Amino acid sequence: MNVMTDTQFEWFMTLAVGVLAGVWLVYDAINLARASRADGRDPIVRDKRFGYVVGLVIGVIGLVGVLRYRGVL
Amino acid sequence: MSEVSKWNPANAVTASRVVSKWNPANAVTASRFFTLPPFVWAVHHGYRQWATLLILLCGLLDKLDGLVAKIFDCRSAFGELFDAITDALCYGFALVVVAAYGWAPAIPVALVILLGLTNSAMRAQYARRMGRATNYKSYAMERIVAYTGYLIGFATGGMEVNFYYWLFVPLMVVILVHDGKRMLLDPVPAARPA
Repeated sequence: MNVMTDTQFEWFMTLAVGVLAGVWLVYDAINLARASRADGRDPIVRDKRFGYVVGLVIGVIGLVGVLRYRGVL
Repeated sequence: MSEVSKWNPANAVTASRVVSKWNPANAVTASRFFTLPPFVWAVHHGYRQWATLLILLCGLLDKLDGLVAKIFDCRSAFGELFDAITDALCYGFALVVVAAYGWAPAIPVALVILLGLTNSAMRAQYARRMGRATNYKSYAMERIVAYTGYLIGFATGGMEVNFYYWLFVPLMVVILVHDGKRMLLDPVPAARPA
C-alpha cells in the first residue's frame, strides 16, 4: 500500500532532506556570522555559536547523505 | 565562584508568568502521541512510505506547537518541558520500533537512546540545581533533536541509513559533553528579578 511510486518516493526523500539540509546550512551560517560579532564572554553567546556550528555540521552531513543516495558520491 | 549567576534571558520563560497547562500549544504537543500507533502499524506491515509520512507529521506537529504557543501567548516552563519529554518519548519509541524491525542498525540506536537518557538525567539534575521545573536551553541539542526525527525518516525511507546513524553518535557525544559542563558544573542562572 503506497502513497506514490517508488521513484516519486525517492525524489520526495531527496528533496525533503536536500532542501532542508541546504536551508539549514545557510540559516546557521548567517546565525553564526551574526553571533561572531557578539560578546564572546557571554556564555549564552558561546552556546549559540556552538549550536550554530553543530547546525552547519548537520547540514553538511545531510547534503553529503543526499549526494550518496543519488549516487553522486 | 557563586553558584547562582545573573538572571539568564535565555531561560526567561522558566521564571515568567503562570500559564495553564491546559492550553492549545500543549494540546498540539500531546497530539503527537497519536501518530505512534499508526506508525507501528505501518512499520509492522512494511508500508515504508506511510511510516515516513507519519513520522514527518510528528515532526511537523513539533514545529506547530511552538507557533501555536506564540499565537495564543501560552508559552510556559511546563510547555517547554512537556515538549522535550514528548520529543524523547516519540522519537525514542520510533527508533526502537525501526531497530526492532531491522530497518535501522541496532548498535547506534542503542547508543542514541543511552545518550538521550544521559541527557535527560543531566537536565533533571539541572532542574534540581535551579530549584524549579525548567528546561535547559541548548541550541545544539535543538538541532540534534531535529536530526533524530530525520534519523527515523532515513530508516523508514531506506535512505543511507548506516551513514546517517553512525555519524549521529559522535556528534551527540560532543554536544552532551558541552551541555553537561553547562548543566552540571557552570553556575546556574538566578531567578528573574522582580
